[in-house]
Amino acid sequence: MALIEIRHLKKYYKDVKAVDDISFTVGEGEFFAFLGVNGAGKSTTISVLCGRERRDGGDVLLGGQDVEDDAGARAAMGVVFQDCVLDKALSVRDNLKYRAALYGITGKAFDRKLRELSALFDLTELLPRPVGKLSGGQRRRVDVARALLHEPKLLILDEPTTGLDPQTRKSLWETLLGLRAVRRLTIFLTTHYMEEAAGADRVVILDKGKILADDTPLNLKEKYAHDLVTLYHVRESDVKMLGVPYRREGEKYLVSVKNSAEATALITAHPQLFHDYEVVKGKMDDVFLAVTGRTLEQGGTK
Amino acid sequence: MNFTKLRYLVARNCKLFFRDKGTFFPSLIAPLILLFLFIAFLGDVYRDSIRSVVEGFPISDGLVESIAGGWLISTLLAVCAVTIAFTANTIMVQDRVTGARNDLLVAPMSAGLLALSYFLATFLVTLLICFTALGAGFCYLAAIGWRLSVLDVFSAVLDSALLALFGTALSSLVCGFLRSQGAVAAIQATVSAAYGFLCGAYMPFGNLAGWLKDVLMLLPGSYGTGLLHLHLMGGAIEAVTEEGMPPALAEALKQGFDCTLDFFGSAVPVWVCYLVLGIATALLLAAYVALCAHMGRRARPRRSVRNFT
Repeated sequence: MALIEIRHLKKYYKDVKAVDDISFTVGEGEFFAFLGVNGAGKSTTISVLCGRERRDGGDVLLGGQDVEDDAGARAAMGVVFQDCVLDKALSVRDNLKYRAALYGITGKAFDRKLRELSALFDLTELLPRPVGKLSGGQRRRVDVARALLHEPKLLILDEPTTGLDPQTRKSLWETLLGLRAVRRLTIFLTTHYMEEAAGADRVVILDKGKILADDTPLNLKEKYAHDLVTLYHVRESDVKMLGVPYRREGEKYLVSVKNSAEATALITAHPQLFHDYEVVKGKMDDVFLAVTGRTLEQGGTK
Repeated sequence: MNFTKLRYLVARNCKLFFRDKGTFFPSLIAPLILLFLFIAFLGDVYRDSIRSVVEGFPISDGLVESIAGGWLISTLLAVCAVTIAFTANTIMVQDRVTGARNDLLVAPMSAGLLALSYFLATFLVTLLICFTALGAGFCYLAAIGWRLSVLDVFSAVLDSALLALFGTALSSLVCGFLRSQGAVAAIQATVSAAYGFLCGAYMPFGNLAGWLKDVLMLLPGSYGTGLLHLHLMGGAIEAVTEEGMPPALAEALKQGFDCTLDFFGSAVPVWVCYLVLGIATALLLAAYVALCAHMGRRARPRRSVRNFT
């Protein structure tokens, strides 16, 4: 069953078509990734989904309800914004207390929830500290805890790991994916990190406000990216004999094949060459390049 | 309306004001400058001014101190009520700048409730600081010679509350248009520097040119300042008759120190001062509500237009 249903969504800023007639659905419990460079329309779509921006056309339904219905739709979603938007001068505990009250969670119910989230995100020692004094990774943990205060069905993550070190990023994802498994949480992620998008159930590639591709990472790789067979300890004349595109990188040769089937056929046809080799699936970077004609690096284009 | 959410929002806004050094300390700048000026030279100017009005009649130093002290406290309160309200309301603008507003409005509540919370928090903070200043002022007046009646005390409390409400309504409307920290800083600096002069807190209207006085009397804040002058100095000025001076002289002192106001030559009764302040506050409040409603309409998503595609 679709939790989010977006049909022909349009959002314009004067002459700029930030979101230009896009349609997609996100199933309940799905991990959905929105991939695109800065300015592709990812954050605008989220703003409309959260009810922060008015749309210029189309339908945005959450659980079958128009997001205009504040009480129902907003209570069902938690949002982690691109930047920390908590009150820097207030302690972590105060921030969570005042935000929780907006969902009717006060008193003992809040204390219980605070204990639960503190254990989950390792916040106990951070609770009395002002948010402004926390490191980037600590703030992000508090942000996510804030978004999960009211146990939403949908967690929207707007480039949540930008600026975080790899270790913090990894541990944050472990916690989130664990939560998803336990609570059947739907995750809607916007990102420009390919490896994050590759872990999603479904990826939509957005460029200049339009959807260019919408499929599972595996299908996208099958469709748009070539697999690579790396050969070691072979002569170039032998590789040339295979009759497929290749390139040399130091002592190894990278042979490009369409898919696993073609790789298997190649190996079985020339077993004498394949003593020391590895087959690597195509990467999301290749998919993005093939779909948009651009590479993606740190949110910028190259 | 959800009062629990409102209560927590107001508590959050108030706490942010007192915890954030960037908001709390700047709010004290204008009153501290006024206090410094009074200690440095304005106090002597007022004392000399009082003595010049009653020239030829003996007046005790204690009474002169009471009148000058009443002027100081009333001007401090008149300025505080507006400048502190402006500083407290910067939370509203900060929330827009930092994105906290988006985070708050992701929760199931209306933008109107958030706007109301800013208003109430600003009013509470302003009231708290004004009442603290008034309490300290009463202690100071008691130390130099208590001349206030019970009615004066209650009236001064009412005046402070009304001016705090006026300051809150004025600052809410102005801050409702601001979208950057720079704009807030500019407005704060302007209000801190200019409001004291505009409302007749730094300089009695009697010392100004006639046309300027009439122009300033068009501003509602002047009436609030006049009420505070009357209720915090009036008792001390009337006491000059006990020291053998004619009532006409007391009246001249009252006029000279803005305890009685005149508008284009006509004396303004006390009830008219309250009326002007009340109507001005109500109009500002109505304008703020209209502004919030307008912005709420702009921000709220509308239902899809089926024939758009």
